[in-house]
Amino acid sequence: MMNILRFVRRHTEENFIVASLVLLILYFGFATEHFFSLVTLTTILNQLPALTVVTVGMTFVLIVAGIDLSVGSVLGLSAAVVGVATVGLGVPLPLACLIGLGAGLLCGSVNGLLVAYFSLPSFIVTLGMLEMARGLAYVSTDSQTVYIGADIQALAMPIPGLGVSIALIFSVALVIGGQFLLTRTVFGRYIVAIGTNEQAARMSGINVRPYRMLVLAVSGALAGLGGVFNAAYLGSADPNAGIGLELSAIAAAVIGGTSLMGGRGTIIGAFAGVLIIAILQNGLAQIGVAEPTKRLMTGAVIIVAVLIDQWRAKRKPG
Amino acid sequence: METARLSIESLNKSFASPVLRDVSLSIKHGEIHAIVGENGAGKSTLVNILAGLLPRDSGDIRLDGLAYAPTSPADGFAAGVSFAAQELSVVGTLSIAENICLRSLPRGTVCIDRGKLYERARKLLQVVGLERLAPETIAESLSLADQQLVELAKAMSAECRVLILDEPTAALTTAQAERLHTIITDLAATGTSIIYISHRLDDVLSVSDTISVLRDGRVVASVAADALAVADIFEMMTGRVHQDTAATVISGHRQEPVLVAAAITTRELPKPISFTCCTGEITGIAGLAGAGRSDLLKALFGLVPLTAGSVFRCTDTAKTNIANASHAVRMGVGYLPKDRKSSGIFSGQSVLANMILPGIGKVASSMGLIDRSRELHVGKTFAAQLAIRCSSLQQDIDQLSGGNQQKALLARWLHCDSDILLLDDPTRGIDVGAKNAIYERTNCVAAARALCWSRAKLKNSCRCAAEFWSCPTAPW
Repeated sequence: MMNILRFVRRHTEENFIVASLVLLILYFGFATEHFFSLVTLTTILNQLPALTVVTVGMTFVLIVAGIDLSVGSVLGLSAAVVGVATVGLGVPLPLACLIGLGAGLLCGSVNGLLVAYFSLPSFIVTLGMLEMARGLAYVSTDSQTVYIGADIQALAMPIPGLGVSIALIFSVALVIGGQFLLTRTVFGRYIVAIGTNEQAARMSGINVRPYRMLVLAVSGALAGLGGVFNAAYLGSADPNAGIGLELSAIAAAVIGGTSLMGGRGTIIGAFAGVLIIAILQNGLAQIGVAEPTKRLMTGAVIIVAVLIDQWRAKRKPG
Repeated sequence: METARLSIESLNKSFASPVLRDVSLSIKHGEIHAIVGENGAGKSTLVNILAGLLPRDSGDIRLDGLAYAPTSPADGFAAGVSFAAQELSVVGTLSIAENICLRSLPRGTVCIDRGKLYERARKLLQVVGLERLAPETIAESLSLADQQLVELAKAMSAECRVLILDEPTAALTTAQAERLHTIITDLAATGTSIIYISHRLDDVLSVSDTISVLRDGRVVASVAADALAVADIFEMMTGRVHQDTAATVISGHRQEPVLVAAAITTRELPKPISFTCCTGEITGIAGLAGAGRSDLLKALFGLVPLTAGSVFRCTDTAKTNIANASHAVRMGVGYLPKDRKSSGIFSGQSVLANMILPGIGKVASSMGLIDRSRELHVGKTFAAQLAIRCSSLQQDIDQLSGGNQQKALLARWLHCDSDILLLDDPTRGIDVGAKNAIYERTNCVAAARALCWSRAKLKNSCRCAAEFWSCPTAPW
């Protein structure tokens, strides 16, 4: 009995997230008639790939003690690029998707370059990129939604008999890969070290700049991928796609135990954060909560999560 | 006989343990009175009491014969005692004039009276030799030296009787320091008494009239500056005989040099320094705080840019110029920073992660995948070797004592197989047991490595130094 208690206490972080997830599912399951159904489950899951990939990138950025506010706009730009390339320029779809991804990588690299090599704060740089990428998305599409067609939707449609889409499989694989990268590779350890104490990292002989740059570039590329997934989900390129998404991604990461001060966080936890937000949104909709109340409650959840996180961090030493 | 400007009688102050014991000093009119002492000797406590920042426990202070007991810096300032602290308190976004008159900005009916403000500032700027600057200039556009002088101007007023300067030249170049000295000498000639605290003993000798030496909270001497040399002051400060600044090889068949500093200078170390570290030797670098010990080690590790000269890593086959810190690590140089908390440990991470980090490549595949069992094995080996006391290797490093943290940091470089270890005062602030463990371990590994060990106190450096190179007052 004591052993179980000790185990639970040692793993409060993970347990807390999982427990809240289970509680949420149970609550909505009993509160509504249809929540415990395959349809609901697949509906929720297939909405997630865009937010998931963006959150993975965001979590890496947060762990290295930065922030990327541009992901929502970069996602919109990437979707716009895919739309314009296929419909306007007749580029074959796979190539267009790669171009969309490339646009994200480019934006992220510009962010990374300015932050790592010009020593600008990531908050400001990515805030600028937020505006620029959104502007470009409007310019390239003439502010109109571009209808792409059914081809791209194959990415986001559930595979018959399996119930999940290619995009979802890919994003779950990315979560697992990201977690592996973070905890089991030299790269991951360096990222955590830089985020914990940049000075000490430098004095341990780590060349900090390339890592800072790389992490922001990857975040941009993943936002680009998110744009492709978003276009696939809608079947069209919406230049408004991803407005406010950066905040959802930050919220998911923080709910999942990532520290905004850097150095602490897990990709799996951030994914759990994504699930919590999604289930909360869908569950509340199903029990008939109106949009304004939904937003109010989601906001409250974020604040409570950070409060609990801080309380845990304070209790830890001693 | 003339009464002293400031007389201190049997001043006592203790925090947990006594910091000032029976301190008596007498400071004359128009005198520049230097107070020197090692870190922790009680200098700062003394001037903080004089400035009204700290209350005293007992003792009597008289200013021009009248009892003086300030309860706040404003109180002290009103009585004519001004304090320019070591850290600049210039507000960068305000103008020079506003900074100088920040204590009492002249008020018009509603707004600040700008005419009066600038006039007053101009007068004080003239005193500190900054008349070339317009008083409305924004303070942060000034050089550090000028800001220091603005700070000085701020500390002065018409009624300034005693001016306390804490390390005023710490951030200045030699030429700038000389300018400051001229200014305070002129100021002293007008009758203001100046209390001058500095670690630069050369400066102290050249500028002051009287030098008082504090050691362990006691005044050990208070003598005229002309009668002293740097060596005398050093001896009084530390209670030990001063070693010559030239290199003294205590034992030594010299082996192959592995690290060579060739006439290096940096922004902080303007005079060229050359020396070599050899395998099997411990090079002791001694010097007081501010003498440049840490700056030298940082320069060797490639953390600060060199302004001249170069640092070479020599092997049997090649001689490589060390470009930056990550290059230094790859070349087999390890570095233990002085400030363990801010630049050593990764706070919030496990003991294991802290031990492994710089050499993590050694427990990873070429693809960068970490072999966790090998990692754990390495951690256990070094934890046993250095007797690191922790509940498990997964324990948060913050929960360990300073000594055990330091052992974990030393393990980093032992695991890296660095053949050159740069240790910046590695036993500072840690308990005796951990100290001995670190001495023992470093002595053990020293045969196959070159060590460079910096230390404030000479005695302990001697204990483990095969070659001994001392620079108590910074030849640079």
